[in-house]
Amino acid sequence: MGALDYFEVECPEPLGGEYYQRIVSTVLLDHDLVRVVAKIHVFIDPSVPIFVATGTTRKLPGLVTVRDFSDLNIEDHKVTISIANEAYLAPLLKILWDKFGQARVDQPDRLTIIMPIERNESENLPDMVVSDPGEALYKDLIYALQTIAPEGFKVRRQYYGNGKFYYVASENTLDEDITPLLSEKFRLMGESL
Amino acid sequence: MILVPVTYKGGIYRHDEIVDLIEDVGGYIIQKHFVAQEVVLQALVPRDDIELIRAIGKPLMGDILPASLVGTEIAVVTMSLEIHHLPHASCDVAEYIRRNGAKTNMVGLARGFGKRIAQLNDEERDVINEHDLALFMLGNFETCIEKKLPVLRRGIEVPIVVCGGPSKEALQKIIDPPVSGYVGNVGRFMHRTKESDEIEKLEEIVAEITRVLDIRREEIAKDPLSVSPARLMDIITEQVPDIEGVTSPTPITVQIAGLRIKLPYDVYAGLVRECKIENGITIGAVADIRPSRMRDYILITIKPFSDTNIVV
Repeated sequence: MGALDYFEVECPEPLGGEYYQRIVSTVLLDHDLVRVVAKIHVFIDPSVPIFVATGTTRKLPGLVTVRDFSDLNIEDHKVTISIANEAYLAPLLKILWDKFGQARVDQPDRLTIIMPIERNESENLPDMVVSDPGEALYKDLIYALQTIAPEGFKVRRQYYGNGKFYYVASENTLDEDITPLLSEKFRLMGESL
Repeated sequence: MILVPVTYKGGIYRHDEIVDLIEDVGGYIIQKHFVAQEVVLQALVPRDDIELIRAIGKPLMGDILPASLVGTEIAVVTMSLEIHHLPHASCDVAEYIRRNGAKTNMVGLARGFGKRIAQLNDEERDVINEHDLALFMLGNFETCIEKKLPVLRRGIEVPIVVCGGPSKEALQKIIDPPVSGYVGNVGRFMHRTKESDEIEKLEEIVAEITRVLDIRREEIAKDPLSVSPARLMDIITEQVPDIEGVTSPTPITVQIAGLRIKLPYDVYAGLVRECKIENGITIGAVADIRPSRMRDYILITIKPFSDTNIVV
């Protein structure tokens, strides 16, 4: 796990901590999150019991707009979109169907979309947001942390925003205010919540 | 005649000669698998005839190896069937035990996870008790194992071998009353076991299971069974032809002191009970036949000589 700037597992049972170090690295590698996560600190105390994972992510690519993956030819009564990256085709189609109706979105071949719309409707099309990488990352990250955490720890609180994330879980109810605990763990990484 | 559990691996070509040979010398074939161009036989063969089988199998690219767990059915008890425990470590361990000849069944507990919330229901308890041994795959923390194992072992009457993250000594210290076997440093992990030290750990699990089952076999030897389970398997295969229609890999699973027959109890129990072994002695006279809690299978427990005064 040399790719991470900070990686620590803290546990009152040293051997258990060692095993969890291996579990964390395996799961992050399997979920392809090593390049995304910059720092991670995991704290597990089975006697409480509590599992806390705090960390930061690297700078993510910005929002993906139509312009980023396709060429647009905007005419007076028609727009032709030629898609270069098929990965965004499905979300784009969904947005266009919702906005203009399925009848007005013609797809003569897999990577071409033609819409008979007026110029005033099509002006904003190039800057329309199709995908937010942060949203997908949030889901992937939380799923990975769920996999890392001991299975019985079903009560959980999680957060991801501004390049920071935390995941707190227990099999008992969690304290109402977990901020002091989280602040302490972020401080160990040289970060603040 | 002492029967020894072995695995024969060889080419499919003329493998029926080996099958005939094992049967002619008085051995029993417990399982037969075809893997691509290879056949794998799990068998019990007379100790004195192993060299003969090896010699005849050699030109057929065959080899005979000791497989200590042939003729046993083992429950691999995993705390849940979630990604946390499967496929690693539970499947890795179950598969390795299978390679050594055992029939393994994975018992995924409905509420096995957690420290305070872990529990075992009556169906899980009964299913585990139908096996020769229960292998508990526990987690990485001493605190959790100490707290949850007493709940999970409640009502389990078969020998228990515990695998857990702490060292063997630590497991022995925290588990009270003691269980039959311990394997330390095999807790929860999420990678495939392929390094040499990990394979050694799997070997250690097999050795521990073998040790515990050998004690059980010795106990049985003091008061022998009225009939050998492997022989009973042959008799049932011969006299209940419908067993040929069962698509399960082991239509009849041999256990140390019994059998699991994968036919519906309601329809076939009477037929099995009336099967003749020899001299008019029926299976019903030397064994208990009852419904299994696993689907609608039939479970046979062979009675010891002291119960029946019969050895056939």
